[in-house]
Amino acid sequence: MDLFLQQVLNGLTLGSIYGLVALGLTLVYGILHVPNFAHGALYMVGAYVCYFTMSDLGLNYWVAIAAAAVVVAALSVICERLVFHPLRHAPPIHDKIAAIGILLFLEAVVQMYWGADFRRIASPYNQILDIGGLTLPAQRLLIIVGAFSLMGALHLYLKKTMTGATIVAMAQNREGAFLVGIDANRVAMMTFAIAGALAAVAAGLFAPINLVYPAMGHLVLLKAFVIIILGGMGSIPGAIIGGLIIGFSEALGGFYLSSTYKDVIAFVLLVVILSIKPTGLFTKGVR
Amino acid sequence: MLKLEGVDAKYDSFKALDGVSLEIDAGELVVLLGANGAGKTTLFNTISGLMKPAAGRITIDGKDVTGRKPSALVQAGVVQCPEGRKLFPGMSVLKNLRLGGYVHRRDRAGMNRTLEHILAMFPILEEKKDQPAGSLSGGQQQMVAVGRALMGRPKLLMLDEPSLGLAPLVVKQVFETVQSINAEGTTVLLAEQNAYAALKIANRAYVIENGKLVMQGDREEMLGNEAVRKAYIGA
Repeated sequence: MDLFLQQVLNGLTLGSIYGLVALGLTLVYGILHVPNFAHGALYMVGAYVCYFTMSDLGLNYWVAIAAAAVVVAALSVICERLVFHPLRHAPPIHDKIAAIGILLFLEAVVQMYWGADFRRIASPYNQILDIGGLTLPAQRLLIIVGAFSLMGALHLYLKKTMTGATIVAMAQNREGAFLVGIDANRVAMMTFAIAGALAAVAAGLFAPINLVYPAMGHLVLLKAFVIIILGGMGSIPGAIIGGLIIGFSEALGGFYLSSTYKDVIAFVLLVVILSIKPTGLFTKGVR
Repeated sequence: MLKLEGVDAKYDSFKALDGVSLEIDAGELVVLLGANGAGKTTLFNTISGLMKPAAGRITIDGKDVTGRKPSALVQAGVVQCPEGRKLFPGMSVLKNLRLGGYVHRRDRAGMNRTLEHILAMFPILEEKKDQPAGSLSGGQQQMVAVGRALMGRPKLLMLDEPSLGLAPLVVKQVFETVQSINAEGTTVLLAEQNAYAALKIANRAYVIENGKLVMQGDREEMLGNEAVRKAYIGA
């Protein structure tokens, strides 16, 4: 039983990181109507900014995460202005190609400057907590608490503030949003900034129990895609719950079945769920 | 207050509006008649800034607004209630209405006053205010759409086929509402296929055919005109 609960905790850790990455992807999808393949690269850049703020500038872990969030939010907005905005009247395939271009570009730049070495961020929280017989490294607790408070904050922002509502409005009906006087550029930039910041924070939280390298975003991005397809493209609760489903199944499957196949589980789950419910789990009924 | 001079609009090489000139004075209720595909919606979208005119000039109260963004036009007081409503289906009725007042978001007190006024105008919306707009009936959604447009406190309200797909009794109610909005001082431009009902409440009307304005006149002239009766009233 303890082993099971231990895996549940691990699943929660993974799921909350996946959820954060998927949230940004799903928000941007609502605006672009195209999956942003560059999102994984933003996640990777976030981890690097975090790493170098700590190792080269010698700053505190939290400052490093904040710096990563700001830098990647800015980078994300630059991508929107320079690449996606000029393509707004082009066929959707152009956005997709451009997004892959950004992904390759960012990875190449990072590799050119910092090399392909694996790096490790040292967590300032190395304690192991003992909760009723379950061992929980403090960093994992930090990930869970941090990710869920960020999700909560995002939820409040989207539900309770007028500026947050403009993002949702734009995703639900673009023309309707224009006609009430919402400025499309402002909303697009804001959405990209939020998505970038979420990816950077996810990377910063996860990096101490993982490694930092140029291709680190690939698998996370693929899983984030699985999550938003499962949860229904553009659905926010779908991204969070989808993240948890993938996190749990990976942790439990990796433990009970085989850890070699843990990365395959997400994709098997995708095939199974889509063959039962092709629209995804949380697609909105009213359109 | 609204003036169009020689406005053209194009979809690629297809000319959807051809040299449209019209003028609407403050306080008027003007009807735009035309068959499907004549260019009514294109004209509305061009005035709203959703489409950029290929030629010509659009002014509001003498100020040139040609080619401005939709958000700038809403700020200037031109609000469209579009065909097909274009609501935010997953949001509550109340939220849809509040977003209608987006350009006045800094003026909370004013927004609440307008909101109260609209809920008094459509009591059913008060009842349904926490339901998602997409779950309402067609007539109720139309009320939300009109209400959302009014939340922008328009000087000029453009209504694109507000009676489309509604039951006859609801249509009657929509026209009464339009008339009362106009009576309260809002200038209205109304596009309708339901020509007779629209002309009855109008001051003036324009007729659009193949992207050109082919006729204009006041209510009596239009109701008495043989060609208009034949084409749009069917009697």
